[in-house]
Amino acid sequence: MSNKQNAITVSLVSTLVVLVYYLVNIFQMIQGGGLNSAEVFRLWAVVIIATIILNIAGNIITNIVINIVHAIKTQKEEEVRLIEDERDKLIGLKGDRVSYIAFSIGVFLSMLTFALGQPPLVMFSLIVFSSLMAEIIGDLSQFHFYRRGA
Amino acid sequence: MEKYKIRNNIRKLRFNHDEMTQEQLAEKAGVTRQTIIAIESSKYSPSLELAFRIALAFGVPLAEVFSYEPGDDSP
Repeated sequence: MSNKQNAITVSLVSTLVVLVYYLVNIFQMIQGGGLNSAEVFRLWAVVIIATIILNIAGNIITNIVINIVHAIKTQKEEEVRLIEDERDKLIGLKGDRVSYIAFSIGVFLSMLTFALGQPPLVMFSLIVFSSLMAEIIGDLSQFHFYRRGA
Repeated sequence: MEKYKIRNNIRKLRFNHDEMTQEQLAEKAGVTRQTIIAIESSKYSPSLELAFRIALAFGVPLAEVFSYEPGDDSP
């Protein structure tokens, strides 16, 4: 597994953690009497901030771990160069496109629930869910492209 | 229209260059070893610039490394 694939794994795991946190909170709200706007918007903020922080922290930790593993393997203290070549960039772009399409479908379905008479908070909750799912689908598609070659 | 495929002689050229490793070629071409593996197994077609860099790493013309031939999907 390349260093880039390790970074995608970290992104995937951190997004999954945030998704589980989000779903647990939403289900607790529903069981506790339904969605209320203050709680839903607070959860929005928590999810966005947690995603950013976890991704940054994850990348830093991955780099440190990669360097430690490299140093143990080679018995040298040189820093590992994390090259992103044309194939990595191409796969990244393809992953972004898949993610964008998944998010567009999610937003469309979220708005459809509103158009069909559901409360606006359901739409907002589904939009956050769509963004997290789109991120996960994008990461998984990048794994697929790496296995296929590009 | 007949299907064409980009084929390469990278494995043979590496062998002829003192069994150059994929890692060494990757370093010379400025890409990752995984990209060299993908190109060598015909899973990925490199850009023109990378193709030239690989040819330069072997010190041969581009046509000696890559060819465009009709054929099936198997590499």
